[in-house]
Amino acid sequence: MATFIIRRIIWTIPVILLVIFMTFVMMKQIGGNPFRKTERNVPPAIQANLERKFNLDKPWYQQYAYYVKDVATFDLGPSMSQRTRTVNDIIKDGFPKSLKLGILAFLWAVVLGIPLGVLAALKPNSIFDYFAMFFSTIGFALPSFFVATLLIYYVALKSGLVPTNGWPQGFFQFDNRIILPSFALGLFPMAYFARLVRGSMLETMQQDYVRTARAKGLPYRRVIGLHVLRNSLIPAVTATAPLLGLIITGTFIIEIIFSIPGIGRYFINSVFNRDFSVVMGITVLTSLIIIVANLFVDIMYGFLDPRTRDVR
Amino acid sequence: MAVDRREAAIPVAAPPAPTTEHAAGAAIRQSSLWQDAWRRFLQNKGAVVSAIIFIIMCLYCLLIPGFWKIPGIWTSLKDYDPNAVDFSQSYAGFSLDHPFSTDKFGRDLFARVAQGGQISIAIGFAATFMILVIGILYGSISGFVGGKLDNGMMRFLDAPYGLPYLPFAIITTQILSPSGSVSVWTMVVALTIASWFTAARVVRGQVITLKENDYVRAAKAVGARWYRVLARHILPNTLGILVIAIFLELPGVVLGEAFLSFIGLGINPPTASWGSIAQDGREAFRLHPEVLFIPCLAIATLVLCANFIADGLRDALDPRTRETG
Repeated sequence: MATFIIRRIIWTIPVILLVIFMTFVMMKQIGGNPFRKTERNVPPAIQANLERKFNLDKPWYQQYAYYVKDVATFDLGPSMSQRTRTVNDIIKDGFPKSLKLGILAFLWAVVLGIPLGVLAALKPNSIFDYFAMFFSTIGFALPSFFVATLLIYYVALKSGLVPTNGWPQGFFQFDNRIILPSFALGLFPMAYFARLVRGSMLETMQQDYVRTARAKGLPYRRVIGLHVLRNSLIPAVTATAPLLGLIITGTFIIEIIFSIPGIGRYFINSVFNRDFSVVMGITVLTSLIIIVANLFVDIMYGFLDPRTRDVR
Repeated sequence: MAVDRREAAIPVAAPPAPTTEHAAGAAIRQSSLWQDAWRRFLQNKGAVVSAIIFIIMCLYCLLIPGFWKIPGIWTSLKDYDPNAVDFSQSYAGFSLDHPFSTDKFGRDLFARVAQGGQISIAIGFAATFMILVIGILYGSISGFVGGKLDNGMMRFLDAPYGLPYLPFAIITTQILSPSGSVSVWTMVVALTIASWFTAARVVRGQVITLKENDYVRAAKAVGARWYRVLARHILPNTLGILVIAIFLELPGVVLGEAFLSFIGLGINPPTASWGSIAQDGREAFRLHPEVLFIPCLAIATLVLCANFIADGLRDALDPRTRETG
């Protein structure tokens, strides 16, 4: 087990380097830089100085080496269009809000989605099952911006239960403004969990060992709670990593609709401003999160299902 | 989007394979497989209804813009030009003349949603096609050759998997169109680059499973070259999965395009796509929510239909998966 974990951790290093390299190449390819955005003439000497300040005059491999070193030391450089702020400042400002939004959305998915799937699987083809599957189908198909605007229109505007936009300042501050954005973001993972857990529970309940457990006289509750539930939640653990990617993608949209000053909104604004140190910083940060989450899920999976350890 | 949905939905084992080696036997078995599948598909009511709605939607998008006129009913409109501006008709509401209402500029949404649908569906199918082509090439080479090359190719995929989808797609569109004018092809390429690798992994898994089949070994044993084995024995057996994959891939691509256009980084105006019509509707949606809701409903319907069709096709082509749902 220890070798499995160590090998898995060591493998993430080249992946991270490759991801940083890909982001780096992409940003090099984006035409133009922020100093050339305006029509106003910048004297060549100033242009050259600016490029030297941001290392834009060095060959690409040196720029790449600088960037890897900076990422390793969590120094993502200054913002190119907001002169007084660094990328770190922007991330420090926006990331906690996005993180909180993501965590809350994930909570919705776990707290509602998994029980929904379990209950649907316990009584297959019942009214409740049909309701749960209808709900999850709808959650699958509706684009998150549609869900968000529907919620704003009917819950916030028409009935006035909660404000239409905004977000509490501090990380541990909660008020009624968090409900709609996190629910809109969490609906897809919720539907996903419900469907996944239902499928895997139905499959587990047909396994031989479950029949054996029933046959030797264990009570139904105990069989479900101890034997079935444990094994059928493994797919849900595995699905966490790709779902995280979806939640990150979703925050970009949700933050714009609900005017939440998270990193997603900063990212979009920076794309419009051609502020590529911010774009690059946010992309690298989210990539690191996804890679670490993948690592974590793989290790968890190694614990939960020992058969996977030797294969990799 | 929908990274794991596709992997989860595709059956591990291939459908029973028609052998192409013996000409006479092949013809009979092949037709019976597809006929069986067709019969099973028709029994699935949800899938059939979805397929019909899907076709109606495609026809609506193709036929309405430009030349669809019914004399006597929609006579007051000169024609359904999706870009015709008429400020007197701004946010006109639902009427016979404008079944889907109008937007801020008085453009008829019935025509505009249809034209946007053309763009959205075209991007959807084009990107799906490219994703599958690249996925088949990459996945079948990796799975078929095996060994170190397979290991290296699959390890490389860990990197694009680490990149978040939406930023990845946004950055690619920005690279491909430095001036900021995003064309349909830019969108297709960007969405393909941001999501081809799941298809590659799925195809590789399939090829590896198929490679172990007895008929592949037999073909190799009688001296068939590798390209013949690949082209005649392995790829035809992935056909069923590919048909399913089209309808699994499509919703993700359509949603991805809608996301980009909704943010304002998609197709440029005045060309409409469902995402950009929704974006137009956003600014006044407190008073006129229909401009936002109608294109969103169109997207949702398309995604829903594609999901049901994919489910139906999967059940039809591989009945074994049906019990577990």
